[in-house]
Amino acid sequence: MATFSHSNPAPAADADITPTSTGLLQPAGSALPNQASTPDTIVTAVAPDTPPATQHADATGPDADGVARANALSNMEHVVDLADSVVCIADDLHERILQEIASYNGRTMPDAQKALLRALTDDELLLRQYAHALYANATTFVIHDLAQPQHRLMALTAEAAEKIRRIGVIGEVTGLVGGILLLVGSIARGQFSQVGAALEKIQLHNAALKTLKPSSPTKT
Amino acid sequence: MTRRALVLVGLLVAGCASTGQVSLGEVREFADASARLGGYAELSRRYRDTYERELPYLSPQAERVARDTDARRRAVFDDFVAIQKTLVLYMQTLSLLAGDGRYELSGRVDDLGSGLKAMTDSGLKQRHVAAYTGMARLLTRVIASRYQNRSVDTMVRDGNADVQTLIDAMIVLTRIYEKANENEQKTVLGLFNAEIPMANRNADRMLVTLARVHLQNKTAEYRLIDRRYKLAQQGLTKVALGHQKMRENMDKLRSEETRHMLAGYVHDLNLIRDALSGE
Repeated sequence: MATFSHSNPAPAADADITPTSTGLLQPAGSALPNQASTPDTIVTAVAPDTPPATQHADATGPDADGVARANALSNMEHVVDLADSVVCIADDLHERILQEIASYNGRTMPDAQKALLRALTDDELLLRQYAHALYANATTFVIHDLAQPQHRLMALTAEAAEKIRRIGVIGEVTGLVGGILLLVGSIARGQFSQVGAALEKIQLHNAALKTLKPSSPTKT
Repeated sequence: MTRRALVLVGLLVAGCASTGQVSLGEVREFADASARLGGYAELSRRYRDTYERELPYLSPQAERVARDTDARRRAVFDDFVAIQKTLVLYMQTLSLLAGDGRYELSGRVDDLGSGLKAMTDSGLKQRHVAAYTGMARLLTRVIASRYQNRSVDTMVRDGNADVQTLIDAMIVLTRIYEKANENEQKTVLGLFNAEIPMANRNADRMLVTLARVHLQNKTAEYRLIDRRYKLAQQGLTKVALGHQKMRENMDKLRSEETRHMLAGYVHDLNLIRDALSGE
């Protein structure tokens, strides 16, 4: 069931195990006319220059147990919040996919469109796994000082979720989702040095998407 | 985590005061009901096994992330259970002090000691482990001495803060389990919600029917399990509240009012336990 074809709809038949999100991060081929290729080019131009967010505070042994525990708890709550917002994005994406399917209203969907929706479904699954990873992190209190990136992240993820809800053409979602996947993926794996670049990527996508008028009114 | 050590300190401090054994029926029943409350351990196991249940629904890429998370869930599982074991041992000890001779706790102290190795992986400082181990050794001696001169009130007074902390941690964990379960549910059911409407060719009919049956079963399964998270949290909250009330009414534990109040908590806890074991 899970081996769907991914973002290259043309040779869709084989079980191609190309990672979905990396596929989506590249300009995704001719089958998707409105694919957000513009933001991607912007990203590659700018992302390398962004200073890496080195928030990897080496656990400076807190003096009092109480302080350490309070920090651990507040960190844990932040991580749970972050995981919740990743779940929200996955929910919005899911909702958007279902809307797209419903808009066909029983008519047969072109294979290319099916392939796109399946690729997005795979992305949704991956987002949910990253949320799981964050929940696991929360329970083990292993994330150190992430407060600052987390705050920025919360704001951005909320904004991204709003975008997904409002985007008119489903193809436009893919670039944004790719950025989010990269971001939460690096957080969940504790690769904090990548967070800055990923944040930048999402920001650029968001900015680019703002200029794109939805081509058709979304059904809310 | 350090609080666990403090619980043991509490027990030992309790040992220093001597008012002799007492018989307090309601305290004992409350402690028994608290020790027997189910839910947490089972939900911890369910959380640990998330990966196995999700596996058939995952794409290869999602599976790689899931496998990594699985390892981390398993690494800390023993610690999650150790928290509960500590609380249960505390409640059983309390029951014993309140006049119940049924528990034989000597063997249980070894359990506590063995929970510690894994805890070093979950961010516990080495000195905490050392303190805990030392306390566990001392507690062994206390239990071995047959609780001479321990009293319920000193134990409740000295243990309350730590009991509250432990239960708080269990409630927080249960909430996270609940969130993870919800995410799992969306992973499992979401795939079908998207695929079933897309499969509208005649050739898909049988497959779609099977998928619908599967979806129906899974939906029912998750509806049942959903309730358990709430029940477990309610139960833990009752235990925390009941213990807090005991602490606040320490000087009138034998009064009609306090006994009535404790009996109320026992009643609620038994209801919750029945609801948890009913399904």
